Amino acid sequence: MHHIRASIHKILVITFTILLTSNTSFSQDAAKLFKGNCASCHKPTAVKLVGPGLLGVKSRWPDQTKLIAWVKNSTEFLKTGDAYANKLYNDYGQSVMPAQALSDAEIIAVIDWADKGGDAPPPPPKDVTSVDPTGVPPVENNNTLYILLGIGVLLTVLILVLTTVKSSLEALLNEKRGIVVVPKPERTPGQRFRYWASNNKKLVAIIGLFAVIWVLKQGWDGLLGVGVYTDYAPEQPIKFSHKLHAGDNQIACVYCHSGVEKSKHANIPSANVCMNCHAYIQEGPNYGKEEIGKIYAALDYNPETRKYGTNQKPVEWIRVHNLPDHAYFNHSQHVKVGKIECKQCHGPIDSMEVVKQYSPLTMGWCINCHRETEVAFKDNKYYEDLHKKFVDDPKYKKGDKFTVEKIGGLECSKCHY
Amino acid sequence: MSNTKKYWKGIEELKATPEFLQSKNNEFVEDLPVDEFLGNDNIVDTSTNRRDFLKFLGFSVTAASLAACETPVRKAIPYLNKPEEILPGVANYYASTFWDGNDYSGIIVKTREGRPIFIEGNELCPISQGGSHARINASVLSLYDSARFKAPLVSGKESDWKTLDNAVTGKLTAIAAGSGAIRLLTSTIISPSQKAAIAEFTSKYPTTQVITYDSISYNAISLANNASFGKAVIPTYDFSKADVVLGISCDFLANWLSPIEHARQFSSTRKVNVEDKKMSRHLQIESNLSVTGANADKRVVLKPSQIGNAVISLYNKLTGSSLSTKSIDKKDAIISEFAAELNKHKGRALVVCGINDSAIQQVINAINTHLGAYGNSIDLDTPDYTRQGNDAAVMNLVAEMNSGKVDALFIQGVNPVYTLPNGEAFKAALSKVDLSLSFSDRPDETTAACKFVAPDNHYLESWTDANPRKGILALGQPTINPLFSTRQALESILAWSGITTNAHDYIAKHWETNFYPAFATLGGFTTFWNKSLHDGIVNNNPETLVLEPAIKVTSSPIATPTVPPIADLNAAANAINAASKSSGTEVFVYQKTGIGNGNQSNNPWLQELPDPITKVTWDNYILMNTAEMEEKGFNTINGQVQEADVIEVTLGANKINLPVLAQPGLSKGVIGIALGYGRENVGKTTNGIGANAFRFTQFVNGTFQRESFGAAVSGSVGKYHLAATQTHHTMMGRQIVKEATLEEYKKDNKAGNEDLLLSTNLKTIGKDGKAAPKELNLWESFENKNHFWNMSIDLNACFGCGACVVSCTSENNVPVVGKDEVRRSREMHWLRIDRYYSSDMNEEVAEKEGVGAIDKFLKMEIPSADDNVEVVFQPVMCQHCNHAPCETVCPVLATTHSLEGLNQMTYNRCIGTRYCANNCPYKVRRFNWFRYNENAQFDFNMNDDLGKMVLNPDVTVRSRGVMEKCSMCIQRIQAGKLVAKKNSERPKDGAIKTACQKSCPTNAITFGDFNDINSQVRKTWNNERKYQLLEEVGVQPSVFYLTKIRNKTSKEA
Repeated sequence: MHHIRASIHKILVITFTILLTSNTSFSQDAAKLFKGNCASCHKPTAVKLVGPGLLGVKSRWPDQTKLIAWVKNSTEFLKTGDAYANKLYNDYGQSVMPAQALSDAEIIAVIDWADKGGDAPPPPPKDVTSVDPTGVPPVENNNTLYILLGIGVLLTVLILVLTTVKSSLEALLNEKRGIVVVPKPERTPGQRFRYWASNNKKLVAIIGLFAVIWVLKQGWDGLLGVGVYTDYAPEQPIKFSHKLHAGDNQIACVYCHSGVEKSKHANIPSANVCMNCHAYIQEGPNYGKEEIGKIYAALDYNPETRKYGTNQKPVEWIRVHNLPDHAYFNHSQHVKVGKIECKQCHGPIDSMEVVKQYSPLTMGWCINCHRETEVAFKDNKYYEDLHKKFVDDPKYKKGDKFTVEKIGGLECSKCHY
Repeated sequence: MSNTKKYWKGIEELKATPEFLQSKNNEFVEDLPVDEFLGNDNIVDTSTNRRDFLKFLGFSVTAASLAACETPVRKAIPYLNKPEEILPGVANYYASTFWDGNDYSGIIVKTREGRPIFIEGNELCPISQGGSHARINASVLSLYDSARFKAPLVSGKESDWKTLDNAVTGKLTAIAAGSGAIRLLTSTIISPSQKAAIAEFTSKYPTTQVITYDSISYNAISLANNASFGKAVIPTYDFSKADVVLGISCDFLANWLSPIEHARQFSSTRKVNVEDKKMSRHLQIESNLSVTGANADKRVVLKPSQIGNAVISLYNKLTGSSLSTKSIDKKDAIISEFAAELNKHKGRALVVCGINDSAIQQVINAINTHLGAYGNSIDLDTPDYTRQGNDAAVMNLVAEMNSGKVDALFIQGVNPVYTLPNGEAFKAALSKVDLSLSFSDRPDETTAACKFVAPDNHYLESWTDANPRKGILALGQPTINPLFSTRQALESILAWSGITTNAHDYIAKHWETNFYPAFATLGGFTTFWNKSLHDGIVNNNPETLVLEPAIKVTSSPIATPTVPPIADLNAAANAINAASKSSGTEVFVYQKTGIGNGNQSNNPWLQELPDPITKVTWDNYILMNTAEMEEKGFNTINGQVQEADVIEVTLGANKINLPVLAQPGLSKGVIGIALGYGRENVGKTTNGIGANAFRFTQFVNGTFQRESFGAAVSGSVGKYHLAATQTHHTMMGRQIVKEATLEEYKKDNKAGNEDLLLSTNLKTIGKDGKAAPKELNLWESFENKNHFWNMSIDLNACFGCGACVVSCTSENNVPVVGKDEVRRSREMHWLRIDRYYSSDMNEEVAEKEGVGAIDKFLKMEIPSADDNVEVVFQPVMCQHCNHAPCETVCPVLATTHSLEGLNQMTYNRCIGTRYCANNCPYKVRRFNWFRYNENAQFDFNMNDDLGKMVLNPDVTVRSRGVMEKCSMCIQRIQAGKLVAKKNSERPKDGAIKTACQKSCPTNAITFGDFNDINSQVRKTWNNERKYQLLEEVGVQPSVFYLTKIRNKTSKEA
């Protein structure tokens, strides 16, 4: 008897541990789940989006089982005739909340998370380099230049001050000794410069040399910059704000750029994707109805009658990131296989009111990243053998990184064909 | 025993003309006009002085830099409502059906962002089995032909559908009221739905009669089968079930009946391996040197007039009968040998004949019956429905039209003004028809003479279904919206019958009522329809699919056909003897694998595809025996370096002027002309090229025949330049194709492919300083840790058809350069198929016959007889050398080696020194002498907004001044690797296929990862027939070949 009780005890303990651990993992993922499944319609605050803000949602739904049923399949739940559910349905323009394929535990985790207003708002990104671990070095180069320039200016000022001090001291000394200084003949500034220059030939030569080098350097840099459009931020036909959508509203990039894990193009969303939310959100915080109205105009949609017309005209966005035709770039290779974050190349997109080209998109920039970035080989059977060969190589030293370069990532035909 | 056979690349090499010898070692045939330019004294007199030059230079540099600084504004326009299945950047594949009245195939269409860009065979299609044909591959470009009709025409003027419908229905009603004759002249219709639509039309207008016309007629076969067995059908053939095949004027590997299928079946009996050293034997009797004849183990040349007699003689020898026949002289002995060989393989022997004469076909039927081919390699009970033409009915129609009896004539899928022997008469008769209408989707000779044109959709814009043979049902779907205001012929016919529906609904309805019931057990109709649409083919098992045969068979099926009555055969023999009145020059016309019957002749890819045998592009010409040309004083050089002579051929009232080309393997007194040229007002690509050889067909014994007698050939009346791709890119007279006979191969696995050892003076190496080229390395080897892409090509399965060349062009945006540039040997094809003729003299023969050294080499250059000309084909693309000589000479590292064993070409780094091409032993690098896109000088598909839609967006369009070459379809490799990475697996063998491999009807090309020990290519590497091209150079190619084995006896060798 005692034996059996001990077993039951053990089983209970194990089950509890499993439940607990799995629960913890869910709550860790709650923010991610929310972002992936809920954020396009809900906010974890009191602010209404398509649906109600989820702050304090638990108090509004005292019965958790009902809430779970509602989230799982709202249409079915409405049929139970629940008063609050029907009120919600009518309050939000009789639009149905789509059924969510989440487990009970996941739903509870998300609700617990959102009920408290989500995470504390993230600190505003101070510097992009801090957001992005690999960073982009050119910024640092500029700084060194400024420091050098500063030192130069300081030294010049110091020399000027010292010269003035020296001459006034000399004058004082002369005065004391009673030496009358014959005033130098009056010269035009040009003459003075020539006179000075002929007395200081070495200095002039050195300054001249530096001047020539500087001009050449400027010219070289200018040429290198031809065709590089960093910070290119064209005005778009619709003043779409990534800051509002991706930043404030926390909508996942993939929600709109749905090709990013499947195709070479991340894809600009088609207008019907916009309408998933903007069928309900007809007014924006920045421009009111004006900019959202442009989507309606493109689709020939009447927000009053909720009917689409036939006079539709696609939105002509201006491409921000233009690679030359001879360069092949595939988003899915980088995002899905390489597990690169969007921000690494596109920068703090969630704080951009107008999207600009953050990275230079030069070949040097690509190559540099391929040199430094480690292949996401973990859990990918494609790389399994390859990584083993890399480690087994006699030339391998501990700490060597299995970078893209090591598997041929610098080869021409990876991008040019 | 080493293979010492001497190959020669053309008549000019054979003859060693001074021009050839001079140009042989030059990569570029013509001198650059440097001296001419520098020696020009007038240069000093020009008004542009040095200062002006510098001004211009400064201005252009500034202008160029300013232009480069401007930020380009590029737009990105997303869908408003994105279709669920389309994801920009990802290709979609749709199963569909190709049928143009001449070729049938189940196909897969690759589309990008809604544009069809590539066509390949559908592996589920029992006919193509994934293989393809040059004409089918190229058909995607015909979709983007800017010459197509943009709207319906009424009296030659663009109109709209409403006007046309009103006019046509108005006239039809009037004609029907007066019981006037309405005729529908169509190509063979294999679409059951279209047949149903025509039935609707006929029930509304009961005076309608349908006349079926095949421009390349096979009518004699069905007539003969009717006479022999009471079945007016075209049987299906299975070449894989024959040990001995005798082709009589029959190009079954490239053009006859169902070439993709035949090539696949036949190649399965030709691929020998160590385990099973069995191989079929291929005999050929023909007048032309066809692609099929070029692959024969034993080939006999006969004049067209002798072939009928040879068939009777063969029958007599096989059966011991004595049908009356005329002697064919010396060749009689070979016919006896053939007969003995066929008799030895009774039950496993097959005779096919491409002569469209019912008497000859009746004797062939008797021969096949005697050989027991029926029920084995010939299946009469599974008829082929793709040729239902009735030649006599067509001729009768012309007579009817001429007498003014026809009030309305609708022409669909055919171009009788161009393809009929009496096309001019048809055109004249057409003017007597009150309502003449063509459905052609692009201008042709017939539309020009019709009052109305109701342009059909291109097949890639159409819903269609097909029943190409008993037991096979196929569905075709549109892969793009109609580009112009065109309407499917099916819909037009329905509209005039008073039924307003679209093609999709009509076909679906037809399928639901007629075909679905047999599959009702599998699920609902939607399931059945969706599955059919997805597969493109409905369950191809004839046991489960019982369809109403397209041709009603009156008699009961014959299980084992008996020998046709001898009385019939006597009559047939008499008819043959009566017809074979050889007089004057005999003419045969034939289809080229590219141009075919000419319906796609406005397609620049097909025009630029070199003919497999002559290697000439962009022209048709008269083929003539070399010796005969010499007698007549014609230029026997290929017409490229020296102009060819133009001669006039007269046959009755028909005259054509064409250049004459020397062709080995032809009898004296016989000339051959390719069909499909001489088109008028069809489009910029084909207008004015060649002459129409259909005028040299004739209507005899109730069928259209492609042989005619009694032509007169004039002397030279002019000069003309031809453009061929061979004789350039010389291989420096080195031996590059290895071959052996089956007999030798049975004794020695390495027959004809002995290990190559090079002598060195290093005693440390090998035995006596002899070493294999691979051991003598100047460079360190590359380590291919990840993949090592290799390709093998089985020369026993390569028949030289050229499907790979077109699919490579299509996949890799290879530009079309036009005739002038081809003539300057600047063609851009990444993949060429070398064709080498051989002669029978070799070291062994010389020793046996005691021929001296000088005589031996002289005789090596001469083929002993036209009968014995042997041909080998060898596809050559970049060999992706592991010690590539091109890589070491590039001054800017534009061509480099990848860790995956590929030789990479980087266009944007190339500065065009052409050192690499100079250093390539295979001459596979191509230089862009011009910008071939958006350049009015090269007015082909890339200079045309519509034509550019065919470009593959994953491959760069090259600009002027850069080298390019085969990349082993790197874009497909990268895509395949990406799929594997996403699925967390290694790429499966066969998952990545190059374009050439995909289109090959015989699977001669194998591609894969050598590092995958289970891959097909790795296994092939261990085949003892494996050899590398010019192995002695030591460049270690990643492409390797399997020696060609000929099934011939030592006596014939």
